[in-house]
Amino acid sequence: MPTSHADFPYLSAILLSCIIGLFVILFIPAERRKAIKWVSAVFSGITLVLSTYLFFAYDKNIGGLQFVEVLSWVPSLGITYFNAADGFNLPMLLLTGVVFFTAVLTMWELENRVKEFFALIFLLVAGVFGLFMSFDLFFIFIWYDVSLFPMYLLIAVWGSTRKEYGAMKLTLYLLAGSALILPAIVYLSVSSGLNTFNLITLMQPGTFTPYQQKVAFLLFYIGFGILAGVWPFHTWSPVGHVAAPTAVSMIHAGVLMKIGAFGVLRIGMFLCPEGWQYWAQLMAFLAAVGIVYGALVGLKQTDLKYVIGYSSVSHMGIVGLGLATVTVDGLNGAVFQMFAHGVMTALLFSSVGYIYDRTHTRMLGELGGLSRIMPVASGFFILAALAGIGVPFLASFWGELLVFISSFRVYPFFGTMAVVALVISALFMLRVIQKAFYGPRNDKFENLSDVTLGLGIPRIILAAVIVIFGIFPSIMFDMIDTASIPFVGGLP
Amino acid sequence: MMNWLAFGSELYYFLALIVFTVMAMLPHPNPRREFTAALFLSAVGMAVCIAGVRSEGLLFAGTYSVDLYSQIFKVMLSMGVFLIICICANLDGVAKKHHAEFYLCLFTSAMAMMMLASAVHLLTIYVALELSSYSLYILVVMNRRQESGLEAGLKYFLVGVVASAVMLFGLAILYGSIRATYLSEIVQVIPAVIDQPLVIIGLLLSLGGFLFKLAVFPFHFWAPDVYQGAPNQVAAFIASASKVAAIAILVRFMAMSGGGSVYLAHALVALAIVSMTVGNLAAIVQKDFNRLMAYSSIAHAGYVLIGILCMDTAGYTSAIFYGLSLMLMKFTCFLVLVKVSTDGGSLQIDQLAGLHRRSPLLAMALMLALFGLAGIPPTIGFTGKLLVFIAAMQNGYGILVLIAMINVVISLYYYLLVVKAAYLLEPTQEQPPLAVSPAVKVLAAALVTAMIVIGIYPTHFLALVHEAARLLV
Repeated sequence: MPTSHADFPYLSAILLSCIIGLFVILFIPAERRKAIKWVSAVFSGITLVLSTYLFFAYDKNIGGLQFVEVLSWVPSLGITYFNAADGFNLPMLLLTGVVFFTAVLTMWELENRVKEFFALIFLLVAGVFGLFMSFDLFFIFIWYDVSLFPMYLLIAVWGSTRKEYGAMKLTLYLLAGSALILPAIVYLSVSSGLNTFNLITLMQPGTFTPYQQKVAFLLFYIGFGILAGVWPFHTWSPVGHVAAPTAVSMIHAGVLMKIGAFGVLRIGMFLCPEGWQYWAQLMAFLAAVGIVYGALVGLKQTDLKYVIGYSSVSHMGIVGLGLATVTVDGLNGAVFQMFAHGVMTALLFSSVGYIYDRTHTRMLGELGGLSRIMPVASGFFILAALAGIGVPFLASFWGELLVFISSFRVYPFFGTMAVVALVISALFMLRVIQKAFYGPRNDKFENLSDVTLGLGIPRIILAAVIVIFGIFPSIMFDMIDTASIPFVGGLP
Repeated sequence: MMNWLAFGSELYYFLALIVFTVMAMLPHPNPRREFTAALFLSAVGMAVCIAGVRSEGLLFAGTYSVDLYSQIFKVMLSMGVFLIICICANLDGVAKKHHAEFYLCLFTSAMAMMMLASAVHLLTIYVALELSSYSLYILVVMNRRQESGLEAGLKYFLVGVVASAVMLFGLAILYGSIRATYLSEIVQVIPAVIDQPLVIIGLLLSLGGFLFKLAVFPFHFWAPDVYQGAPNQVAAFIASASKVAAIAILVRFMAMSGGGSVYLAHALVALAIVSMTVGNLAAIVQKDFNRLMAYSSIAHAGYVLIGILCMDTAGYTSAIFYGLSLMLMKFTCFLVLVKVSTDGGSLQIDQLAGLHRRSPLLAMALMLALFGLAGIPPTIGFTGKLLVFIAAMQNGYGILVLIAMINVVISLYYYLLVVKAAYLLEPTQEQPPLAVSPAVKVLAAALVTAMIVIGIYPTHFLALVHEAARLLV
């Protein structure tokens, strides 16, 4: 695999801007809320700029690992600080940058314990960035947990609706996932006999026996799958999303769930390709059940956030189905879907958050006719919802299309099930839109104001990303191709 | 000619003892003066131990070995004592006239623990262990609130004496079957006889005394009452420095047995699993922070045992590293506990309510320490667990690692409850901000930094410990 070292440590700079931002926030007095928000916006803006730059500066003709930074960390254990960018993680880094920046702007109206909130968000996002860019199992695990443990406080302190229950359930579920991941990492590292945690060294063919790969892959799949909302380990996810404050829902559904899928891809599939192929049937089955289940349970929900929560389970099922096909198209579709779903859910939660802050309700029965009171806010929600049901020329369309095409070839039955479920959920989503935004309007909300330009900026950015990648999907597909074609081509 | 310089750190602490003996005899006790003296002496003691880290020698007719292994432990122990003295500024739990005696016993115990780290003869081991225990028995009952202190002291004493009797019996059996008392001699004889039932029984029984110190099942009954009934500073000492000393001697003793016996390993596997599970399950229902800390200590003793039962360099290294991480994390918890506790007694978890407003720094330190105890990166607690798991995996204990990880998840639940109390609960009546002196702030910040920095960059310390552990095997 071609590797080129970085002339400037861009990747570390992204991490550093999170960490420096965190420290700057810690040293600002808690009463100076405006200053804290501005600092957060600036540092999260830097990460967005850097990740966008990397996305476009990556040389797609060469491919492989670029912007590589390697530093020996703990030689006796074989731990290296090893960051790099490739076609799989650059879309994820861009996604994180976008969602992070817009999430910070979305929380501009927060008044309660502002300092702690933004400090924890920065810590969380540092973990997410670190995980996506790292190629060392030790660091991947560290970043994984760094991104999880702020969640408890973020939900329990600033959340709503059964927040303590939701926070505890989420934390315990996700940590149970890491209880499977860590033994699997240690197991692989030890049984390789290479005394290293370096992913690239460990992924040489023949390092692990098929048996070891099968065992380890299953542990990785379940461990990371919990975070990716794989059925039947998804139950934390709707509850957690509903309980979380807006920005945390955005980051969580938009980025953290992708960590789960990305972990399966980056560690599970990279290290245990034979285990992946062995368990692919199971993955496809669970993914298909997840798609159908999420869509059907979503039908019954009356709380807008639950609606989005279950549609996330369904959409993450599509990612899982794509990964299970073991084809280039399937992988491309899955990674594209991860990106598109991240942006789309962030916009959904962001719009719902705005509506909830004004109307203080998320119940479908109580909302109504909002499009006439808040046309712009409603517009954002409707756009994101349309993207979710796969309307052409919005980003999700391409991801879903590719996954379905490739899954029809490999798993005709599961593919059909998934498409049928998606059609049902599309009908349902239209009904949600109709109920909440059209129909008779609720007089209670007559005097509410629409989105101002300042608060509109984050939503505009998200909407723009959905549209741009919907019209020019090749920007993304060319990127993912650089990683997926050599990877699938090199499979045993 | 004996090399007295190698015995320097113990001599230093012995001189400190004399200082406190004199102070205890002075007619007018002055807590301030005694505290200053203790702080100064323990700080210098740390410097003395660090200066002597590379000294070597075999003293007292070969019964006492000064080597890198023992010296590293002496540095950790002296650090532990210094930290404990740092939270003695308000020694509310102990009557004013007894402060000098308090320091006297604390330093005696510390000196005995240092000797334990160097003991390489069955008799020295026993004497050092008893010396450290007896001073702790006294410290536990120094609580002003007589009833709970007495009950704790009695329980501690009785379990301790039983453990020590069991150990003595084991040592006798060991001597009877091997006919050697020097560890260096035993290590040569033992591989040939390791499968004899008598030798295994002897080894297992002799472990009793050490397992008591580490609060491993079935010698754990004393821990909750002692942590609750003893003055908080003493509980902190037992939870941190005392555990390090127990690990020191346990590792040396296990290294002596050479790692040949499957039975011994299996017995320890069982003890580790039971300790982890019992400790974690019992901790869930605790309302008292001190008792919760005690049960968490029992659980952590199980994790330490996993490292030790690997009986190779990696395993011993991990156990020692784990000891350091436990010391830092437990101490941080007790630092917060001492500051929040209003009457110098044990603390209900609910009393932590509103801590995030009363002192953001202490709340953060507490949260980090608790997450560290739960083994969540990027803290030193995670690195310790990772090392333990790597060692266990290398020896084929994959299932044990899984069980340990499940325990980690259980433990996270009750640690989160404490975090919740500090960050979420609102106090029933308005509490003023905590008066935290600049010195304590610096200490808390230093602990937080140490927990994170050693956690993600353990390279140098790990290399040192690894070198020391290799000496043993």
